[in-house]
Amino acid sequence: MVARPFTLRNPTPMPGWGLSFGIMVTILSIIVLIPMAVLLWRGFIGFGAAEMWEVVNRPRVWSALELSFRAALVASLFNLVFGVILAWVLVRYRFPGKRLIDAAVDLPFALPTAVAGIALTAIYAPNGVLGAPIGEVFGLRVAYTELGIWIALIFVGLPFVVRTVQPVIEEIDRETEEASATLGASRLRTLTHVVLPMLAPAALTGFALALARSVGEYGSVIFIAGNLPNVTEIAPLLIVIRLEEFDYDGAVAIAIAMLAISFTLLLAINLIQIWSRRRMGAV
Amino acid sequence: MNIEIEEIAKEFGTTAALHPVSLTIPSGTLVALLGPSGSGKTTLLRILGGLEFPSAGRVLFDGSDATGLTVQERRAGFVFQSYALFRHMTVFDNIAYGLRARPRKTRPSAPEIARRVTKLLDLIKLPDIGARYPSQLSGGQRQRVALARALAIEPRMLLLDEPFGALDAKVRRELRQGLRDIHDTTGLTTVFVTHDQDEAMELADLVVVMSMGRIEQVGKPEEIRSRPKTPFVREFITA
Amino acid sequence: MTDTIAIPSRPRAFRPATTEPAVVKWALIALCLAVLTVLLFAPLIAVFDEALRRGWAFALQSLLEPDAQSAIWLTLTVAAIVVPLNAAFGIAAAWAITKFDWRGKAWVITLIDLPFSVSPVVAGLLFVLMFGANSALGAWLVASGFPIVFAVPGIVLATLFITFPFVARELIPVMLEQGRAEEEAALTLGASGWRTFLTVTLPNIRWALLYGVLLCNARAMGEFGAVAVVSGKIRGQTTTMPLMIEMFYNEYLSVAAFTMAALLALLAFVTLTLKTALEWRYADQLAATHRH
Repeated sequence: MVARPFTLRNPTPMPGWGLSFGIMVTILSIIVLIPMAVLLWRGFIGFGAAEMWEVVNRPRVWSALELSFRAALVASLFNLVFGVILAWVLVRYRFPGKRLIDAAVDLPFALPTAVAGIALTAIYAPNGVLGAPIGEVFGLRVAYTELGIWIALIFVGLPFVVRTVQPVIEEIDRETEEASATLGASRLRTLTHVVLPMLAPAALTGFALALARSVGEYGSVIFIAGNLPNVTEIAPLLIVIRLEEFDYDGAVAIAIAMLAISFTLLLAINLIQIWSRRRMGAV
Repeated sequence: MNIEIEEIAKEFGTTAALHPVSLTIPSGTLVALLGPSGSGKTTLLRILGGLEFPSAGRVLFDGSDATGLTVQERRAGFVFQSYALFRHMTVFDNIAYGLRARPRKTRPSAPEIARRVTKLLDLIKLPDIGARYPSQLSGGQRQRVALARALAIEPRMLLLDEPFGALDAKVRRELRQGLRDIHDTTGLTTVFVTHDQDEAMELADLVVVMSMGRIEQVGKPEEIRSRPKTPFVREFITA
Repeated sequence: MTDTIAIPSRPRAFRPATTEPAVVKWALIALCLAVLTVLLFAPLIAVFDEALRRGWAFALQSLLEPDAQSAIWLTLTVAAIVVPLNAAFGIAAAWAITKFDWRGKAWVITLIDLPFSVSPVVAGLLFVLMFGANSALGAWLVASGFPIVFAVPGIVLATLFITFPFVARELIPVMLEQGRAEEEAALTLGASGWRTFLTVTLPNIRWALLYGVLLCNARAMGEFGAVAVVSGKIRGQTTTMPLMIEMFYNEYLSVAAFTMAALLALLAFVTLTLKTALEWRYADQLAATHRH
């Protein structure tokens, strides 16, 4: 159907236009639009862009922002690679307990972040089940260091890549792989040159979703992070601290900085996706 | 019931799907709206059924202005191209749907509804499939169920959108005859949309050839064949 | 002219062209299992292990403490309010988006997805800014005895924001796929708008709806960051279960913290089981719609 210009009157005999559109717009405004507008207004008009920059442009804030984004990137890159592998294993291989594992992948979606937070800390603390051996064998501390943050964010972002890539793998026409083989390509070459490019857009989408989720993650991270300013203090925590000090303007400034960086990152990823889709065509 | 279409036009945004068209359909005729895709035939059918609002013009049923009637009030039995059977209801429930949807005052009792549904299943020659679900039926069977469902509401007219489209040749022939039989039995004014001229010529009493939102010619099948009025009709109709 | 092909005396095992060598397969499987154990299973086991460190009786007793009880009650109440509201919104938005054609849909869908890109802490901040005592609106609300921030309504609002997209996102693709023809058919058969919605649309979307509600509920009950900011963490009044976990943990009441965590983990299991069951059921339905 052709998209028509916007009208308030019901455009067709299909019932429910007024009610559904009305509810949608009203609740969207109350819950999403107006609060976001208030935030931006408070930041840009109430406080001022220059003032916000001044708040953000300090070592502690930069450290926190860098940490949040760096850790999110590292974790999401890990999830990108591991997620593709896991999706492949779940779709193509058969082994005992596969169904269980497949269901378990959704655990980070279903499990409350605070539960994940204390659980991971318990395991990776210096005296924990895994933290102790890692400390002895590798001399690494996991909990209360940036490494711990990486692990927490890997946990949080795990399902995103797997779940976006799985359906694509399921739809792959085996004949393309067979064709590659008949042309003399080794299995590895087939996988890297034929299969992976088909998965790339979905994987990238999953990566973007994992990144968006990890950057703002709070509950899973603050238990394992140690929260030392300039070292293991994530940006959301800094916002909370400002709020506890009643420094609303400071909190708003950092929040807007986070949103701006996230927005830019996601825009870049979207552009990459559009470019890659154009190059390879709709697969 | 006779149908008068007076200067009906329809625009979607800036595209004109129907330039003002006028047509008279005498009561009880079996009419084919024939044309290639984009000719506006489905749009016209949907306007008759109340599924689209015309941008201009009127529709008259038996002389009274029906343009303001809602879909529900029109009692136009509509058979969709995809049949649109209710996938989660049995065949029986599908056919009974329109009767059950009536307000209490005019709603028949449950035994009466059952009786009517059974009669309709006999009419479409599928007496035993009442308990099956649409996904368990073949294409031809679904088409007939869709027809029975539309007939159940005792419609004033029957509207069919490419009723034989997605079926193989043998099934189509059987269904064509079935439609003709039903039309002759019920005497309902019937309008169907098709791009297949053999179908139109074989079935219809009156053929309306359309192209690009305009009516090119209206007439009996032999007339259209032997005396094409416009270049389009000449080219489109291969004898 | 004949060409002889050397045939090996012992035929090699046949491996289809679309699989990897067995060694590679099992190595990858082992890798995945190892990572998942370290990342998913070990933490889960740890939750229950810590909770039961001092035995069942002690653990269950911790749940009966007044603070724990009020936290459980509050979590259930918030979920009971948030889930139906978001379900209603999701249905309305999906109907408006899929049954009608209009410009601007992409914008609206982006706005609906917005809460996914916002940190929970920022979500809490939004409502503190709007309704906190430092704003004109907030001050008036507090004075009139209807505080929102540092009270239950604030928690409800923040949770609504966080779980906002879940139901709509499940319904929109399914309803798009199902199209409008069945609803139009019902209309031609004389059904009113509401009857059409209740008897034709709802049954067709029930699994997708249930799925969305399930995810919404899981997130609503488990939300931490947004609630931490907006609730003021007033013990016994505005502490939900996740907040209570943090409090017990910070007070070194390890068993109490992990027992409550175990309770929420059980909720996660139930959610996952239902989710998997629905995926099997609803995959069937999706397959059926393809056959139509």
